[in-house]
Amino acid sequence: MNKAVKKSKTLRRRAFILGMSKSLITGIVISKLYYLQILQKSKYGKLSESNKTKIKILYPERGTILDLYDKPIASNQIDYQLNILKEKKKFIGQTIQKLESIIKFSKFDLDQVKLNLRDENLSDFITIKKNLTMDELELFELMSNQFPYLLITKEKVRHYNHDENFSHVLGYVGYKKINKNKKLANLKIGISGVEKNLDDQLVGTDGWVKLEANSRGIIKKEIVRKNPIPGKNIKTNLILDIQSKAMEELKKVNGAAVILDCQTGGVNCLASSPSFNNNEFSNGVSNQKWNQLLNHEFNPLLNRSIAGLYSPGSTYKLITALFAIEKMKLNIHKEINCTGSLQFGNRRFHCWKKEGHGKVNLLGAIQKSCDCYFYNLAKSIDIDDLSLFSKQFSYGIKSNIDIPNELGGIMPNRSWKKLNRKERWQRGETLNTVIGQGYVLSTPLQITLMTARIATGRKIFPSILKVKNKEFQRMNLSDKALNYIRKSMYSVVNDFDGTAFKSRLSSNYKMAGKTGTSQVRKISMEERESGVLKNDEIDYKLRDHSVFTAYAPYNNPKFAVTIIAEHMGSGSKVAAPITKRILEFSLKNYLNYV
Amino acid sequence: MSEILIQFKKLNWLLVFLISFLSFVGLVMIYSATYGDDDRVFISHFSKICLGLLIMIAVSLTDLNFIKKHAYLFYLIGIILLILATFYGIVGKGSRRWLNLGGFVFQPSELIKILVIITLAKFFDEKKLQSAGDYIFLILPIFLILSPFFLILVQPDLGTAMVVLLLGLIIFFISGISWKFFGILSLFFIFSAPYIWGSLKEYQQKRILTLFDPESDPLGSGYHIIQSQIAVGSGGIFGKGWTKGSQSHLDFLPEKHTDFIFSMLGEEFGFLGTISVIGLICLITYLTYSIASKSFSDNFNKMVGYGIISNYFFVSMINMSMVIGILPVVGLPLPLVSYGGSSMISYFIGFGIILSIDRSMRN
Repeated sequence: MNKAVKKSKTLRRRAFILGMSKSLITGIVISKLYYLQILQKSKYGKLSESNKTKIKILYPERGTILDLYDKPIASNQIDYQLNILKEKKKFIGQTIQKLESIIKFSKFDLDQVKLNLRDENLSDFITIKKNLTMDELELFELMSNQFPYLLITKEKVRHYNHDENFSHVLGYVGYKKINKNKKLANLKIGISGVEKNLDDQLVGTDGWVKLEANSRGIIKKEIVRKNPIPGKNIKTNLILDIQSKAMEELKKVNGAAVILDCQTGGVNCLASSPSFNNNEFSNGVSNQKWNQLLNHEFNPLLNRSIAGLYSPGSTYKLITALFAIEKMKLNIHKEINCTGSLQFGNRRFHCWKKEGHGKVNLLGAIQKSCDCYFYNLAKSIDIDDLSLFSKQFSYGIKSNIDIPNELGGIMPNRSWKKLNRKERWQRGETLNTVIGQGYVLSTPLQITLMTARIATGRKIFPSILKVKNKEFQRMNLSDKALNYIRKSMYSVVNDFDGTAFKSRLSSNYKMAGKTGTSQVRKISMEERESGVLKNDEIDYKLRDHSVFTAYAPYNNPKFAVTIIAEHMGSGSKVAAPITKRILEFSLKNYLNYV
Repeated sequence: MSEILIQFKKLNWLLVFLISFLSFVGLVMIYSATYGDDDRVFISHFSKICLGLLIMIAVSLTDLNFIKKHAYLFYLIGIILLILATFYGIVGKGSRRWLNLGGFVFQPSELIKILVIITLAKFFDEKKLQSAGDYIFLILPIFLILSPFFLILVQPDLGTAMVVLLLGLIIFFISGISWKFFGILSLFFIFSAPYIWGSLKEYQQKRILTLFDPESDPLGSGYHIIQSQIAVGSGGIFGKGWTKGSQSHLDFLPEKHTDFIFSMLGEEFGFLGTISVIGLICLITYLTYSIASKSFSDNFNKMVGYGIISNYFFVSMINMSMVIGILPVVGLPLPLVSYGGSSMISYFIGFGIILSIDRSMRN
């Protein structure tokens, strides 16, 4: 019995020890809970929050670019893109491998993925494939349960409605190499053309959406959203049909076409050929395609209308003539006998017409584009004066058109030569200059501005963006002189012996113009002696450019046009007929005065 | 018949109420865990609670002497069932531990824990320890513990096996085996630790290592423990609200209706919720303690009472400790709260026995 009592006592003591150890354990558990739920609440609260919420950046839809008649020339189209949750990025390799049976990943796509992976931004998603085709989309939907952490999004991406036609003027969009705004790694911005200049307005404001996702990455619901604000729509002065017509006309030639509205300065057409398809750039251009364009024989990336430099050729004679009347008080009735060439110093200067034009006055000299008449004038012209005068017509200075990468060309004078050639000006060089050859270089836009300014007598400036009409300043020139030049331009096209008579308009409207031939090479004495070779007989790249500039209608100018057809010979042969066709089309459909 | 009614009235209804209330808490959590999902789990759990309560009442009305008398027989049956389960049972959760008895799926390892307690209690009650140095007679009880231990270990179910070992030691302890024995045992354990470590499966080793540094592999073995701690921690004082736990409902929390149900409770009901449940567990434990200690005349009853409540208490604490990162994840449910039939019913049986002890005292 004693033993039993003792044992019972032992049992009670041991049970007490057991109970104490239980209390201790309870204490430990409660302390840990206190630590987790009270002391560390904010840390775990944040972790739990970031666990469930995923942020997706919503990119704004880029503003549409419209032509003068509100037709879209750059809009947006739906692009289905495949995104992966960033926290699942370690599965990216195997995911792509699995997807390859249904979705085609090009090398370009894979490179993009690598770039996107490196990007640090706020978004919890990484785009792994853009431009999903409808077939790919359908197949993916069937398999999507295998990839819960992938998300298909519907984005709006830039689409140019008329492929190659507006590539130079509108430019294209792309990703900035170094994006200051890290959270918007996928935002496309304007790289060139209108897209670049008006990027601020076109781009819009981004938004975001907070999503709730479960541990497998399946989106359960939307928590909160800030919608993106689409970019502004931009109305331009471009006219879709005219631009398309011009591009069609330039299909077989390299060159440029510029059409200005003489009333508003609006650029109705700014075409350059050959072109490229800016839609390919919008989705990110591959290195291969880029190199192909860069190394192309005829440089399709060059916007010839504002950055192609050509000798204005005989179109420049209009400026020489105006200068002579206004500044040299030239007797316009004075005739000069053209014998086909003229000796000046120890050099002989040739007229384009070997046998000579015979007796010509100023009007005739313009009409028939007689070189000798102008050589004769040049003898008493000071190049610095002519150069200064020419600048009123934007020769040698940028027009400040509202797209980037415009070139200003060259309007030479004494100081220019000293600076650039380290030589004194030769008087003989003035003879070359007055007929638009030699050092003088201009863009098709500058030639068009000259024509528009002659046609209106106002200092017109070009603009692509449609802005409120503004009155252009009158030029400091006499009506008498301007009228005389206009009349001579009229006779170039409409008189039987004018150089562009064949290209006169067949409609009721009359145009006034001037042909030009832009020399690519110097014709040597020996060649002269043996007879100048016909263009057809020499290498394509050495052939002259065909230039024509004109405005119409003659009595109430609306359109000023310049066409340059590279290496196509004289202006009357190619550029003038193209001008005729484009102008007839424009006058018929778009002759709407403001 | 009237005799049963009298006995029925004598039951400790406070304990019955607390046990039912804790089961109700489990039901509430399982409702949330399966909210908007499959409600069959909820219905199944509800019916198992009802069944469990009935079984508990039935056991509480049986005579404890009957159980004591046939303890070795019950133990034998339990071991046979365990052998069947271990070698011919149904595989689930990566181990072979279930037995299908005529459509009723059942886990013998849960039952064997109670049988080990009863058998050891009977043994120590009847055999008197002659002297502190007389260890020869301990061979049988050690064998009684180690056979189910190894059978459960090879299933493999490390958690339950460790619990069997722990319960055996607790009975040894309260039966008054000298401290020397435990001293020798500890030394043995320390020296064999490297061999035990080596015999663990790689995933088991990983779980233990993860405990010390869960951030070392946040998406691998550390994932569950990190997510569970985030769930509990983000609950704060008041919790996110019933069915509002984002960690639980967005599947960041694993096994939320079974082993990790306590984390979900912590997330949705906060510190107040977890503290309340711990309070409830402690209250039940305390109540059982007072029952066991009052039955001064009968050491068998005491040992069974302490043993059964230790089973309940320690499994509860181990479960909570593993979900809040104090112990490695060993796969033990939270008794009476987690979903899982045979585990729950075995606890109801255990409480039935405690109620029976209580009732016998009042007679």
